[in-house]
Amino acid sequence: MSVNISEKKGPVVQAKGIHKIFGNMNHVLRGLDLDVGKGETVVILGASGSGKSTLLRCINFLEAPTAGSIEVDGTLIRADAPANEREAKALEIRRKTGMCFQSFNLFPHMTVLENIIEGPRTVLKQNRKEAEEYADELLDWVGLTDKRGEYPSCLSGGQQQRVAIARSLAMKPKVMLFDEPTSALDPELVGEVVEVMERLAADGMTIIAVTHELHFARDVADRVMIMDGGNWVEEGTPEKIFNNPEQERTKRFLAHIL
Amino acid sequence: MGIEVDGAPEQGIPEEADRVLRQIEGRRKKYRRNLLISFAVLITLLVTAMIVLKLDFSFMMKWLPFILAGSGYTFLVSVLAITLACILAVVGALGRMSSNPVFNAVATSYVSLIRGTPLLVQVYMWYLALPQIGKALEELGLHGVQAWLTLPAVPAGILALGVCYGAYMTETVRAGIQSIKIGQTEAAMALGMTRGQTMKRVIFPQALRVIIPPVSNEFIAMIKDSSLVSLMGVWELSYRAVKIGRRHFQSLEMLIMVALIYWLMCILLQFVQERIETHMARGDRRV
Repeated sequence: MSVNISEKKGPVVQAKGIHKIFGNMNHVLRGLDLDVGKGETVVILGASGSGKSTLLRCINFLEAPTAGSIEVDGTLIRADAPANEREAKALEIRRKTGMCFQSFNLFPHMTVLENIIEGPRTVLKQNRKEAEEYADELLDWVGLTDKRGEYPSCLSGGQQQRVAIARSLAMKPKVMLFDEPTSALDPELVGEVVEVMERLAADGMTIIAVTHELHFARDVADRVMIMDGGNWVEEGTPEKIFNNPEQERTKRFLAHIL
Repeated sequence: MGIEVDGAPEQGIPEEADRVLRQIEGRRKKYRRNLLISFAVLITLLVTAMIVLKLDFSFMMKWLPFILAGSGYTFLVSVLAITLACILAVVGALGRMSSNPVFNAVATSYVSLIRGTPLLVQVYMWYLALPQIGKALEELGLHGVQAWLTLPAVPAGILALGVCYGAYMTETVRAGIQSIKIGQTEAAMALGMTRGQTMKRVIFPQALRVIIPPVSNEFIAMIKDSSLVSLMGVWELSYRAVKIGRRHFQSLEMLIMVALIYWLMCILLQFVQERIETHMARGDRRV
C-alpha cells in the first residue's frame, strides 16, 4: 500500500522566519527557517526545552507563530494575518498534515476502528463504507487488524501509537509530524513504532520527526537538524552530523545522548 | 486469573499463597453477609417504628390514590424543568468558557445571580413579580406584554426550577468539559476538525461521563424541590399530603407516605443513572 500522494514539485513544508514568544515574554523560537522537500525525512534533535516540539506544533498551527510564515503544500499562512483568515487556513493545513503525539491521544470513548474513521467521516465527510475500507487497509499495514474492535485502554502503548499513526494516515496527509512518538513507551515497545515509521519513510511519505531514537535518525533520516535555544545549530546528512559535526554545541549534545 | 479457591491449589501456587487467597475470599464473603444483615435490621427497625407509632394503615391506603394523583404534576414539572436545565447548562458552560466577551459576561452573570439568590425568592419572582414587570412595560407602551408575563403556576414553577438548576449545572458541565485533557483537543484539531466538531465528537462525549453522577445528584434534588410549586397552589404530591394530614390530624401517616413516594422515584432515577454509567464506561480498562 502506498500512503503518500503529493502531486506538487518542490518543498512540501516551507517555514520562514518563525518566532514564537509565549505570553510571559518567553522567546522560544528565534527566527527559524525550514524547507522540507517531497518524500524527505527530517529529524530534529536538541536538548529538552530547545524548542523542537514548539516548532513542530507551529507547522500545523496547534501553536500560532508570533512572527513568520508557514506554507504546507501550497497553503500559506502569515503570522500577522487576520484571525478568521488564519483560522480557516490553519484548518486547511491541518487537513494536509498528520501528527503523532508523545502521549498518543487516542479517543478513549471510541474503538480502534472508530478512532481511525473519525477524521475521514467528520472532516472529509466520507461515507462509512469508504472510510472503513481504507481504515482496514491501514490497520493491516500497521499490523493491528485483530484489534479493530478494541478500545484504546486495552492496547499496549506501542499498539496505541501505531493506531495513532493509522488515524493520521487515514486523512491522506502530505506530511507527517512526529512529536517524540516513542518517548512515552517502554523500551521493548519502541521497536514496533520505529519500524512503522521506517516503512512510512520508505513508502515516500514526507516526515518531520522530533525524536531521541538515534537509530531512526541515523538509518532513515535524509537530513538531521540540531536545535538549541530556538536557533538552528547545524544541519546535514546523518553521516556528517554523527561522524563529523562542525559545531561545538553539536558535539556536546551528541556526547550527552550517544 | 484462574485461581481455584474452593478446590485444590493449582500447580505452582505455594501453600501459603493459597491460604492467603482463602482468607481474602473469606473476608469478602463475611463483609457481604454483614452488609445484608445490616440492611435487614434497618428495614425491620423502620417497620417496627411504624407499628409502634400505631400508624393508621387503612387511612393511608384510603388516601393513597388521591396523593398519587399529585405525582403527575411532580413528574411533569420535574421532567420539563430538567430538560430546560440541561439546555441552559450546556449553553451556559460554553458561555463561561467563551472567548466572546458578551457571551461570557452574560453566562457568568446568570450563574452568579441565580446561585446567589434563594430558590424560594426566584419562584415568587416568576409567579408574583413578573406580572408587575409586565405592567410596567405595558405602561411604557409595549402592548400585550403583561398578559405574556403573567404566568400560570405550573409554567412559572418549571421556569423557576429549570433556570435555577441550569445555573448550578452550568458549573458542573464546565468542570466536566475542562477535566478532559488538552491532548484530546489537540488530536482532534490535528485531524482538521473545527472547534464545534471537536466539542461535539470528542470532548462532550467524554465530559458527559464525568458529569453524569453530579448531574443525577441535581436531578434527585430537583424532584424534591418540585414541591415548591405547591407554594403557588398547585396540587402536587406534598401539597396534597399536607392538606389531608392537617384536615384529619394524621400528618404523620401522610408525610411518611409522601416521603416514601419521593424516595421510590429517586431510587428509580438512581437505577437509570447506574445503567447510563455502565454504558458510558465501555471504553474503560477492564479490571
